[in-house]
Amino acid sequence: MQTQLSPVLAGEEASTGKTIPIKDHPMPPLHRLFAIGALALALTACSPDDGSTAGKTLSVAFWGDNTTLVSVDPFQVYWLEHRVLLRNVAESLTDQDPDNGRIIPWLAKSWEVSADALSYTFHLRQDVTFSNGERFDAHAVKSAFDSNKAFATQLPATFGATYLAGYDHAEVIDDFTVRLVLSRPNAGFLQATSTTNLAILAPASYQLSAQERSLGKIIGTGPFTLEHYTPEVGARLVKRADYAWPSANMRNQGPAHVDAVDISYIPEESVRNGLFLQGKADILWPRNPFSEVDLKLFQSKGATIQSRSLPGPALNLYPNTRNQRLLGDRQVRLALQKAIDRTSYAHTVYNAEFPVVSGVYDVTTPYFKPQASKLAYDPKGAEQLLDAAGWHKGEDGYRHKNGQRLTLRYNLTPAESAGDVLVQDQLRKVGIDLKLNVLTRAEWVAGNAAGNYDLTSTYMTRADPIILQTILDPRAANSATVATNTYEPQTLAKAQALFDSGITATADPQRAQAYGQLQDLLTDEASAFPLYERVWQAATAPRVKDFRWTAEGFALFSDIQVGQP
Amino acid sequence: MKRYLTGRIGQALLVLWGAYTVTYFILYMLPGDTLAIMLSASGMEADGLSPEDLAKARTYYGLDKGLFEQYFDLLWRALHGDLGQSLSLGRPVTTLLAERLPQTLALAGTAIVLSLLAGVGLAYLTAYLQWRPLKTALARLPSLGFSVPVFWMGLLLIQVFAFALGWLPATGSQGLASLVLPAITLAIPSAAVYAQVLQRGFQGVWQEPYITTAFAKGLSRAQVQARHGLRNAALPLLTLVGLQVGNTVSGAVLVETIFSRNGVGRLAQEAVLRQDIPVVLAIVAVSAAAFVLVNLIVDLLYPYLDPRITHTAKVS
Repeated sequence: MQTQLSPVLAGEEASTGKTIPIKDHPMPPLHRLFAIGALALALTACSPDDGSTAGKTLSVAFWGDNTTLVSVDPFQVYWLEHRVLLRNVAESLTDQDPDNGRIIPWLAKSWEVSADALSYTFHLRQDVTFSNGERFDAHAVKSAFDSNKAFATQLPATFGATYLAGYDHAEVIDDFTVRLVLSRPNAGFLQATSTTNLAILAPASYQLSAQERSLGKIIGTGPFTLEHYTPEVGARLVKRADYAWPSANMRNQGPAHVDAVDISYIPEESVRNGLFLQGKADILWPRNPFSEVDLKLFQSKGATIQSRSLPGPALNLYPNTRNQRLLGDRQVRLALQKAIDRTSYAHTVYNAEFPVVSGVYDVTTPYFKPQASKLAYDPKGAEQLLDAAGWHKGEDGYRHKNGQRLTLRYNLTPAESAGDVLVQDQLRKVGIDLKLNVLTRAEWVAGNAAGNYDLTSTYMTRADPIILQTILDPRAANSATVATNTYEPQTLAKAQALFDSGITATADPQRAQAYGQLQDLLTDEASAFPLYERVWQAATAPRVKDFRWTAEGFALFSDIQVGQP
Repeated sequence: MKRYLTGRIGQALLVLWGAYTVTYFILYMLPGDTLAIMLSASGMEADGLSPEDLAKARTYYGLDKGLFEQYFDLLWRALHGDLGQSLSLGRPVTTLLAERLPQTLALAGTAIVLSLLAGVGLAYLTAYLQWRPLKTALARLPSLGFSVPVFWMGLLLIQVFAFALGWLPATGSQGLASLVLPAITLAIPSAAVYAQVLQRGFQGVWQEPYITTAFAKGLSRAQVQARHGLRNAALPLLTLVGLQVGNTVSGAVLVETIFSRNGVGRLAQEAVLRQDIPVVLAIVAVSAAAFVLVNLIVDLLYPYLDPRITHTAKVS
């Protein structure tokens, strides 16, 4: 189904050798004395993760949990860290090859797609069971898809609804053959069947309420079971001894090497890093890429830095071109595009090896089309465009026109980053005044909906170019206002036509053409301003072997081995 | 006395109702509405939905009532012990509180005990010592204690006792060991206040005629300080302890975040950010109740500790 995909950045920069000293102080007599008194009980109580089974337990430290939508129900979850967890508990009909984006068998051995791309017949594996003992079969698939559809009807805003777009009903042909029928074309549907969001849970899971599933009552077919999930604290995955049906993406074809995976959510960065450096976390996996200082520190302790660009849009800024806003002028937008120095962004905010963003999608997205030459840093060109558009530099170094300063309001939440300040400085050089408008999430949402911004930013992760529709197609976008405002009226029609031809295409070359033209359009019209490649980085301790990424940018814990470094 | 007590309880209830009501309307006046935040959290924004879908979502989250209707509904149910459902967590607020409150109570309780021990101990020592330079140094210590930010102190303690020495865990809310560092962090600012007030108290008391009398009776310095000095100097502390209870709850917001503890402080902060009205209201009600209760106890204790004070005089 999918074609070319640029090489990914998985597993770069391995440096091993040094070990992390694990503190194991026997308590000296002096301390024992000290401990007598108010702290006696406290000091002698052992911390829970000092257990002797540590050798077979993998501990993962993520950043803070999602506190707005508390859910590990696969269909509702957009939070990347939860999708990592779920990938190891619940499996999907198909899988996606992280190297080339191709859809490969998983719970389904094979499938046929009808010529009109409206019906998908899956032939299922017959040796799969859910962790509660239920058999995985065509009825289970039907119950999963129907339950998801019912939930999306009840709550159309739910994230999984975009994956299920067009799904009508399922037909059980026999116990191990199921046909999923769409009412309208959705070229991304096959890829959707490979995602965590459309993972198949046991029919028993769907008997429960969505809220019970959200709090961890998840029964899947994966190599681990979810023992518990405690919001904002952590989760524990326990290995399934009888697991034997991985996709070809997994190297380990049997049960997991580790007995359990302990996941903890640590909001405070220095504490999280400290735990990793202390050897109390095997994988340090925050959302944002590491700073150069941290990177060097971890590597000096023998850690390996794992990186992969997350599929989906790059970190783009989206303009508001409507309502007489300044970015309604294409010249100004093009000048803005030229005034951003993406190379120095990547190299100063992150590090010298950090990839420079080269398109509106990240390179791991199927049908990615590089736009590097159009995104080159050209401050002179930007100044010429601004001069031509009638914006002239004043005494204060900023440009003015008819007494108005060229001030752009960039809405961001919850705090500005070093990168935002860098862009502000880059734009100042060509005379653009970028106001970093820091808002709470509530204000930011309201600002987007009211169109009260010049630039805003958002992202979604999915290894199919269709994901851009949830941001930039007003008919399917999370925020129709942001999606509409990003284009001038005549461009909107063109973009929608390209989205349509992308989603209705039945053959690869058609999709490649539609999404290629779309990427050209977005860059040429400056309807998206890429800032940086959304690289997801994890630091793994020396004792962790065989960390590998999935196509969605998650990890397969079943492949990971922990040993003594 | 009975009349005084009834009056105070009436006052306390009024304070509770006031806190509840003010919080409710403030939350409603915050920019952005709860539904938009909930939708945005599930990956969608309100303007991306048709009016029918919006109505459905509104019903799903129980947000289909008006401002006053929802207020009276919440209040009526709160009076019957039902604090409602958390919007984003999808669970009864009482269950959430039952889960989170013990963590914060343990933290706050330990912190209050530690701060009293440290504050009283420091001031007592300062008053007892007679060598000027050391006395001055100890008298300056409290101002350092409350000028150091809580989050910085927390990170420093983690660096030293968890990472460098490895004695105590840096994070978590399991076991007593994980309570030590956060409790110390939270106790330091309060301890500093107690020490400062008590130091001043001793300074004043030391000049009183009854101290001279006590010395004249032939008591030693230690006996005078313990029997006559402390009892008189410590009275203002009682009021402060009552007030510090409130500070401990707000301090818990920071401390629980730094130490990744799962308590009410963090819950409150997050609930405010996502405008989870039932949760914020419940936390405000519970904290206000605790605050009011502790201060009531403090007021009732006064006549026993200082016979010069009687309540009847105040009310009649």
